Amino acid sequence: MPEEFLVARNLHKSFNGNNAVNGVSFSIHKGEVFGLLGPNGAGKTTTIRMLTTVLEPDRGDIEIGGHSVRQDAEGVRALIGVCPQELALYVELSAMDNLVFFGRMVGLNGKEAKAQAMSHLDLMGLADRAKGKVDKFSGGMKRRVNLAIALMGHPQFLFLDESTVGVDPQSRNNIYETIEGLRDEGMTILYTTHYMDEADRLCDRVAIMDEGVIIAMDTPHALKSQIGNPNQVTLEDVFLKLTGRTLRD
Amino acid sequence: MEQLSHIWFFALKDLKIFFKDRIALLFSLLFPFMFIMLFFFLNIDGAAADPRLELHLVTQEAVGGISHQIIGAMETKDESLLQPGEAVVVWDKDYNEAVRAVEEGELKGFLAFPEDFTEGVLMGFGTRLEVVTDPEATYTRAALSGMAQSIASQVGAYQVVNSTIVGLLVGQEVNSPGDMVDIGQIMQQLYSRQGGDETGETFIEFETDKVGDIEAESPSNYVVPGYLVMFVFFAAALSAEMIVRERENHTLERLLASSVKRSSIIGGIYLGTAIRGLIQIALFLGVGMLALDMDFGRSPGAVILLSVLMVLMSSAFGIMLATLVKTQRSASALGVLVSLAIAPLGGCWWPLFITPRWMQFMAKVTPHGWATTGFNKLMVFGGDFSSAVPEMVALACFGLAFAVVAVLRFRSSASS
Ligand SMILES: Nc1ncnc2c1ncn2[C@@H]1O[C@H](COP(=O)(O)OP(=O)(O)OP(=O)(O)O)[C@@H](O)[C@H]1O
Ligand SMILES: [Mg+2]
Repeated sequence: MPEEFLVARNLHKSFNGNNAVNGVSFSIHKGEVFGLLGPNGAGKTTTIRMLTTVLEPDRGDIEIGGHSVRQDAEGVRALIGVCPQELALYVELSAMDNLVFFGRMVGLNGKEAKAQAMSHLDLMGLADRAKGKVDKFSGGMKRRVNLAIALMGHPQFLFLDESTVGVDPQSRNNIYETIEGLRDEGMTILYTTHYMDEADRLCDRVAIMDEGVIIAMDTPHALKSQIGNPNQVTLEDVFLKLTGRTLRD
Repeated sequence: MEQLSHIWFFALKDLKIFFKDRIALLFSLLFPFMFIMLFFFLNIDGAAADPRLELHLVTQEAVGGISHQIIGAMETKDESLLQPGEAVVVWDKDYNEAVRAVEEGELKGFLAFPEDFTEGVLMGFGTRLEVVTDPEATYTRAALSGMAQSIASQVGAYQVVNSTIVGLLVGQEVNSPGDMVDIGQIMQQLYSRQGGDETGETFIEFETDKVGDIEAESPSNYVVPGYLVMFVFFAAALSAEMIVRERENHTLERLLASSVKRSSIIGGIYLGTAIRGLIQIALFLGVGMLALDMDFGRSPGAVILLSVLMVLMSSAFGIMLATLVKTQRSASALGVLVSLAIAPLGGCWWPLFITPRWMQFMAKVTPHGWATTGFNKLMVFGGDFSSAVPEMVALACFGLAFAVVAVLRFRSSASS
């Protein structure tokens, strides 16, 4: 039995009486890439915000690396890196300045922050644009900066909320490779995406969420096997079968 | 320790953004100067057309009183010996006649010694100098008040209190001693700490030089501080936007998830705003001094301290505003609105000492009013450090009050 790095128990969160997350439990092993899938409004981002200590759950508890989010949020924060769904950076500053700033905010000294910033920008194929103002970057480049920031301080647990949205195939490939590289280095990753092929390729296990609850959780292979020959059906088929074809808000 | 470094790096980040933002730079650093220049040149024209300023002195004392000696020493005997720009000091003999002359507009104003001046000074129970002016007569009023203050401090006498009457109100004021006593009492309290009866002989050596300086030859002495107060406050109020922007930018979320405390973020914004404000005042005062011939008065240290307090107070206001609003739009709208409404009320657009009494009273409700009064005391009326202490204390209190509201609001909103 591999070590459980993250345990979420019975999470609830409602906004103005609307249940965004309605009793979610799962655990993620150390070194695993875990996919959280689901249609728009399923509650993925809300779940991530609770896991990353930004939002307090109405009910339920979370432990990451043995630290309880409720009792020891600081302990949790020291372990995690977050790449939010929305771009979370200062477009007025250069890519380098952004990375160095957030690096210093996670406690790196000036030298470390600069060195890490440079290596992460290099990883993201942005080394030659390090001094460029983020404002002037393309959507894909901004996404890559957004991800690079999350890597500052070498977190043990990385949360990636739709990191590849609005990104061209080249950039997306770059991000895939980065994630695979990080996984190979032993980083634990929680990943959300609307691209099922992406989840199939990257994730060791996926949970499919709908309307605030998890409706299926297993390896992509096992999920596909449930509805047919895993070499013929896709994860998207599984997804549509489980969540239906009605449009979400 | 970690929190302090968070605050510092946050402030640095904000400053970096500020210096990259041409519009913000233009607005907070260049724009104010255009205003000042405009006002300055308009005023210079008016001032240049004005011939030598006449300052009238009157005493109600019987012959032989100290006031007769003081006026005698100050009176201009030979106008041809005066320096350019120096005021003519005229000895008027009849108090009632002088009051009438101000009321009828024949005289811009005068400084009067009371009947019991000598007694008050020598017995140590205090006395009062009175400045009676036409409200329109800015320079005369400034000069006479300066002279009164100067006499008060030189006659060894913090017991000498000066009170000011605006000409148009002269009728009632003279007949309602109650009001005068109140002002007298307040002033007395302010000065009582330095009390003592050091009735020196210094008054004989009274020099008119100071009065010459005070003859507001450079309107920048009150124009620059007025705009300084307005623009520093304005810029700080707009910093309310920054914290809302962190939220809307999602950087707040990112920071919170990386164990940066909300209080560090608030502290960082405060520090960044304050540093920007300090840069503003350094620029203002520097340019005012070098290019506009501004005079810091007798206590440049007090001018600087007052400016710094003003910056700290304004930054606290910005933070308070930030905790009260939800969106970037409402933050900037409210910032602009409040700053523009308070500025004229607080004497940033015209000197308070030319406004009617009710306006001067209203100004006390605004931090701007205290700040401009303080600057005027120091730079127009020739007051010393201690004369601006009440204004410094008031600014500190305003700043503290804003900060307390901000912290309370912040605590209650931090959980949501
Ligand atoms: N701060 C908030 N205030 C009110 N409602 C919210 C808030 N955040 C989320 N919601 C609601 O909670 C539900 C779940 O939203 P959430 O963002 O978690 O979905 P998601 O699965 O991330 O969707 P998407 O794939 O579109 O990003 C939605 O109905 C959303 O409108
Ligand atoms: Mg989402």
